[in-house]
Formats: sequence, C-alpha cells, structure tokens
Amino acid sequence: MKPDLDLAWGAECAWPEGRAERPPARPWKYLALALLLTGILQFGHGAWIQAKAWLAQVLIAQAWSRTLNGEQRAKPWPWADTWPVARLIAPRLGTDLYVLAGADGSAIAFGPGHLSGTPVPGESGNSVIGGHRDTHLAFLRHVKQGDELLVERPDRTRVAYEVRDALVLDKRDVWVTKQEGPRRLTLVTCFPFDALRAGGPQRYVVFAFESKNRGGERGTRG
Amino acid sequence: MLSMQTKNPGANARIVAFDLIAFVALAAAIALSAAVVLTAVVLLLAGRAEASPAGEEKQGALLLRTMEGKASASAPLLSTDVSFRVSGMVARARVVQTFHNASADWVEGVYVFPLPENAAVDRLQMRVGERLIESEIRERGAARQVFDQARASGQRTALMDQERPNIFTTRVANIGPQELIAVELEYQQSLRYDNGRYSLRFPMVVGPRYLPGNLRVSATEQLGWSLNTDQVLDAARITPPVLRPEAGPVNPVSIRVELDAGVPIAQVASPYHRVDIRSLSPSKRQIELAAGAVPANKDFELIWEPQGGSAPQVAWFTEHKDGRHYGLLMVLPPAAAPGTRLAREVVFVLDTSGSMAGASIRQAKDALELALARLAPGDRFNVIEFNSTAQTLFADAQPVNPRNVRRAADWVQSLQARGGTEMAAALRLALDGSDGGTRVRQVVFLTDGAVGNEDALFRLIRERLGDTRLFTIGIGSAPNSHFMSKAAQLGRGTFTYIGRIDEVQSKMGELFAKLESPVLKGLEVHWPQGVRAQAWPARIPDLYAGEPVVIAAALEQLEGEVRVSGMRDAKPWEARVPLALNGSGAGMGSLWARGKVEALIDSIREGAPEAEVRTQVIELATAHRLVTKYTSFVAVDRTPARPSDAQLKLAAVPTNLPEGWEYDKVFGELPQGATDSRYAMLTGVLMLLFAFSMLLAQRRRSFA
Repeated sequence: MKPDLDLAWGAECAWPEGRAERPPARPWKYLALALLLTGILQFGHGAWIQAKAWLAQVLIAQAWSRTLNGEQRAKPWPWADTWPVARLIAPRLGTDLYVLAGADGSAIAFGPGHLSGTPVPGESGNSVIGGHRDTHLAFLRHVKQGDELLVERPDRTRVAYEVRDALVLDKRDVWVTKQEGPRRLTLVTCFPFDALRAGGPQRYVVFAFESKNRGGERGTRG
Repeated sequence: MLSMQTKNPGANARIVAFDLIAFVALAAAIALSAAVVLTAVVLLLAGRAEASPAGEEKQGALLLRTMEGKASASAPLLSTDVSFRVSGMVARARVVQTFHNASADWVEGVYVFPLPENAAVDRLQMRVGERLIESEIRERGAARQVFDQARASGQRTALMDQERPNIFTTRVANIGPQELIAVELEYQQSLRYDNGRYSLRFPMVVGPRYLPGNLRVSATEQLGWSLNTDQVLDAARITPPVLRPEAGPVNPVSIRVELDAGVPIAQVASPYHRVDIRSLSPSKRQIELAAGAVPANKDFELIWEPQGGSAPQVAWFTEHKDGRHYGLLMVLPPAAAPGTRLAREVVFVLDTSGSMAGASIRQAKDALELALARLAPGDRFNVIEFNSTAQTLFADAQPVNPRNVRRAADWVQSLQARGGTEMAAALRLALDGSDGGTRVRQVVFLTDGAVGNEDALFRLIRERLGDTRLFTIGIGSAPNSHFMSKAAQLGRGTFTYIGRIDEVQSKMGELFAKLESPVLKGLEVHWPQGVRAQAWPARIPDLYAGEPVVIAAALEQLEGEVRVSGMRDAKPWEARVPLALNGSGAGMGSLWARGKVEALIDSIREGAPEAEVRTQVIELATAHRLVTKYTSFVAVDRTPARPSDAQLKLAAVPTNLPEGWEYDKVFGELPQGATDSRYAMLTGVLMLLFAFSMLLAQRRRSFA
C-alpha cells in the first residue's frame, strides 16, 4: 500500500476518464477550497493583530527617542493619529512598552493607551492606561503586589510606582478614573485573560501608587 | 466521511499528521505574509485618501465621570411649577422651584437647571411658608458673600447665578428638617416666529456636557460630576449629578400656558408632551400638561399658527419706564419670489459623540440622508463626522453625482455614536478657509451641542468663517440652545431643532427652503430724525426665508416713523412703521436690557476689554434687575432658623438623563482591552485543519 499512498497527490491526474464525470467529487472540493481560503484569511487576520501590535512598538520606540530629544507629539508613522506619551517598564517581568496618547481602539492596537482627560503618566493625580489583555498588557496577569513599575517621561526623568492591588471590575466602574488621591497609575485591561473573544463586560484593573521610599522622581538610569 | 480502508493504520495516521503540520505551517506562513502586505497597502491607502483625521488635539476621549458628584441621600427633593403668560410675541414666565428637605438634617440644596437662552430673568423671591422674601440683585461675588454670611448665621437664604445664558444655578441654604422652601423666579422672553409659526420652548434638563481639556483638581467644593478642566474652567458648575435611568425619573415639572396670540389661532401643538388645550376665544387658549406633571428630562415646546392672513406683518409694542420708552419691533418681509437656484458647496458635519447615541443619532442620520438626496447636480459636497477626532469623507468637496451621493449615504449609515465631542477639530475641518469658488458655501452642523467650551468654539467660528455660512441643527430631546443660536448667529446662518424622528421631514424641508432661497441682506434700521434711539442687535443679521426682523429699542420719544430697509436678489425692500402706532406691552425694558447685555458680552469676543464690559454689564443689569454672568439674585430671611449647634449638609439635586440618551455611551466605559486575535487564529487553524482533512479524505477515497 505504501507506494500507492506516495502517489496520492498525483492520483487525480491518473483518474480513469469514465469515472471522472462522477459528480460528488466537485462540490466537496470547492467547499474545502473555500474553507481553506477563509481559514487562511481568518488566521492571517488574527496573526496580523499580533504582528501589528509588536511591530508598531519598534516604530514607536524610534518616535520616543525623538520625543526624548525634545520633539513634541512625535508620530511613529506619518499618518498616525497618536504618539508616545511615556515609557512603561516592569523590571521584574522584563516588560518594556511605550504608552500612546488615547485609549481608543485605534491607539491601543499599537500600544497601551493613555486615557485622555487623565494626567499623563508620571504627573500627579491618577493616570489611567488601557491596553489589550492578549497583546501589550498580557503581562498584567503575572504582576504581583509589591512589583515595581517605572514610567519614563519625555524629560528623561523616571517615576517609580509600586503595585498595590488588582481588582476584577465591570466596564461601568469608571470610578477607578477618579482624580483625588496620590500620584498613581491605573492599568485597565479585559478579563478573563484566557477568554477567546473580545467585548466582554469584565475588566482587570491594576493600581500602582508612587513609591514613597524611593523618593519618587529620579534621574535617568541605564 | 473518512471511509477508506487501510491495512496499516499507524503509518497512515503518521503521514496524515505530517501532511497536516506541514500544510498548516505553510498556510500560516502564506497567510501572515499576505496579511502583512495587504494590510500595509490598506493602511497606506486609508491613511492617505479616505480619512484625514484632524489629529491636532487628543484630549478627553470620553465624557468621564471623574467624580461621584455630591448627590447624597440628604439632597432635597425638587419640583417645578411653570406658568407662562403669552401675549403676541412675548412671554412672561414664572418658575417655582420647591426644595423639599425630606431628611432629618439641615440641608443646603444646589440645583443646576436650564432656561431659554434669551430669558431675561428679572425677579426672584424666596417663599418660606406663607412669607415671600424679595431678593436683591448684586454683583456675583458680592451676592455670594451675602449668601455665605446668611448661611453661616443660620438664616434661610437663596442665591441664583448664571453659568451660561441657558444654564443657571439656584442654591438654598438652611432648609430645616421636613421643611419646604420655594424659589420663585420670573423671566421675560421674546418668542421665535418662523415660517408663519410662533414657538415657545422651555428646556427642563442640562444634559451631560463634554468637557475638553486636562482635568484640574479644584480646591473648592466639588458638586459636579466633572472636575474643572484647563479648557472649561467652570466644568464642575455645569455638571449636576446625573441619575442612572433605572433610578427612576426625578424632578417633576408642571406647566401651564395662558396664550393670548392677539390674532385668531388656527392651531396649537405640543410636539413632545401631551397637553390639554382649552379654547377661551378665537385668539386665546389655556394649555396644561395632560399628565399633570412630567419628569424634567426633555424640552417642552408649544407651537401655534395664526389663521391664514391674520398674522401681522408688523408688530410694535412699547413700555414706558423711568422716563424712557422701551419697544420691541417685529417686521416680516414678504416671501421671496422663487429666484434662480444658486450653485452651492455644502459641507455636512455630523456629531457622532456618545451623547448622540440612541434616538439622536437616528434623527441626525435621517436628516443627513434627506439632505444628501436633496443635493442637485452642479453642487459640490462633503461630509465630516466627529467624536474624539474628526474625519472627512472626501479629502475635498466632490461633485454631486449618484456614485458620490451613494458613497456618502453608505458612509453615514455605517457611523456609530461613541466617544468624546471634540467640536473644535470638526469646525477647523469645515471652516478650512475654502470659499467654494463661485458657489455659495454652506456648512450644515448636526449636533446636540453637549459641550462645555462654547466660548472657545464661538471664537473659532468668528475667526474662520470667511464667506461660509453656518447652519446648526439641534438634535435630540435636550439640545444646547445657547450653542445652536449663537453659533448660527456668528456663522451668519440660522438654526433649527429636530427633537423627534417624525419631525425630520418637515424641519429639513424648512431648512432646505432657507438654504436655497435668496437671502435678505444689508438690513438697516433708520430711526426718525431727532429721535434718539439705542437698538439691539446693533447689526441686523441676514434674513432667511420665513424669518422676521426683531429689534429691541430704547427711545426718548415716540414720533415719526421708523424705516427698515434691505436688499434681496439685488432688489431693494423697505418697510415703514409709525412709532406712535404702538401696542403697550409690559417687560419690554427687560428685553431691551437683555439684548444690550448680550451685545456687550459678544463684544468681548471682538476684542473689547473684559474688565470694562463687566463694569458696564453690572451697571446695566443692576438698573434693570437682571441676572447675568456678572450679577446674581440673593434673598435672605432675616430671622435665624438653624440652631448654631446643628450641622448643615450640602447636597446637589440630581438630574435625569435626557430622554433617548444612553447612560453608558455618555459617561463612557473603561477602555476595552482585548482583541479577537486569538479567536481569529484559532478558528482559522480549525478551518484549515478541516479543509485539509476534507481534501485528504477525497484523495484517500480514490484509492479505496
């Protein structure tokens, strides 16, 4: 049987003529091909979301270095409608990300987004950052109480934060954007982390407060 | 399906598995590279041709409820009773706001509410039991001082401030446990006369506004749901707490109108509320809400039409007060003969912010679709949508042809209402300095006007208008009337309201007539020789089809005749009105003073120093007892009420969400934080596996 199997790919060409007119073979083939094409597109769509998310960070890194050199609203690509406003580092997890202006869908496809209307990360007050649980903010599931988060600002200074708490909330719990209280980061992503589809009502919110023992703002390191 | 028979199933399965893996890997590689290339192309094209985001500002993505607002359990219950006396084209309203403290504490209640944008509030009394305490008009800061002092010494006291021409705040302190205190205010207003119909509008709720800018932590008391921002310095004062619709409607309002039209009435209608109408005489009606009281969650409107031919073409009412005559003049030019239709360039601007979600966006889309269908060959057009950012459909205005119109209609239908209201970005795109060449350039702006930075927008319109004309269409149940009328005035266009889906047809029809008919321009008023007159508005705006000239004037004597002249379609028009032929009308002095205050405040936008204007407004408003942005009413009951050891609790009166609005779309949600990438990849792989096994199965079958 083995030789026969090896010929399987070419077998159709050798099909006896009289039997080729048998109809059932065709519709199956077309269906399979259609399915194949849809599968490719569907997979490509998913892969592209991931690829775009991480490729964009490379371009954004360049825009950020321009920002550090004094450029205002440095766009990572010419037609971008967003720009990096801060750099976010989680040293223990080795995460290094650029935070973009605006937490709307068009921005957070490329990086975690700073929710407009709240103070820019590093400023006093409550800076809210949103991002996708399956791309940039996937690291949040591994964040633990006491973890250090660093924010680099356009003036090259860094502010250290300490993770205090994480809560599973509803998307309507907009109170987490409240401004009273000390300097802090509020990181928002979707929950549960392993859900397949987007659009659920739950949010995973991580609260990080400015580290008092480290004296807050520091100069550039490394 | 897999019906093949083999003698060596183990080897077979291994090969199938190998094939599958190889195939999937290949497919994935092809898919990824194809997707990268395709999407890069699409991104490039989309970024260049289709959308041109304004991208200048990126602030206030959502209307964030950053504060709880101080609507606590101790907030007083509020009910409002409104009675109107309408005579001819003027209405006098008495608004009674009753604060009922149902708690066991002493309470200070704060209520932020709307009034018509042209209301001249000239009286306020505070009722405590049977006693009515008259208020004084004071400079705003001084009034607040009087109020604070009275509050501290335990006296019952009431204060009324103006936040915007159509937003006011009443504050009542030292309401005892289980006690009622009423604030009774009165205002004078000239009515809108357009297309042969009078309309009386009474707004009931200040809808949640979008506040652009960065938040500022304010040191003073925080009563609103928003903090002040660097672009809206008083955001906290215009954002009363909003109840979730599930919490049930609050703030009942009853309305009663005594209507004396002066001429026989053909019909009376209330489009948004059911009313009972009693006919007292051919020209008099009495109107009441059929339900008795309704929740304060949308505008009330009463429309009446005089019988055919009986509507006056000229009206002149005067009042003699303090040695001066104050008058209101109305002249209706005859309808224009249908002239040649001018070629136009029309830019439609559609507000797709979160506050438009629900009924409003449906009305706006219908209206826009009707307008697109109405465009004529030879015209050019474009469409702009805006929420947190603004985008144009075409890079430049495009000729009207079935393909372009179809494309625009499809695009409009696909838009969704969500996000912020960055109106400045949209106005910059619409008023970009293009003049339409030989065409008349018109911008039609569909919005609910739910923003807090009106002044900045007005300045922008004034600076960038050029030869363009701006027409506003106020959408929804509680549009911002101040924005609609002032933007249209500065835009040298006109405004209209659409509050229900079944009004779209008729209201748009009227607007099309205005857009397409020749305008009456260069209007001037010539007072008779020797009569010293001061009239507002000083410059009379161009008139569109169906609109009258309305002027408020102060004169020394009533002699001779006043002449109003203008040009339409290069033909002169003139009307003469003998000044002695006047009807008498109370409250004309307030209307005149209100007109002058508005003109003075407008002059700040034209560069007049604010300090000077402020002094003038305070002087004028004090003489005429008017509430303005610089002057407030304060009333104090001399007898102390609250024992010095009892605490006073401050609470804001909560308001309803305007009817048809969607709470979550307005106040936003936390950002969405997930993509469908894993789902897409997983389903993609499953499909590939399935397709592959089908193909494989077929091949195997051929050897069976």
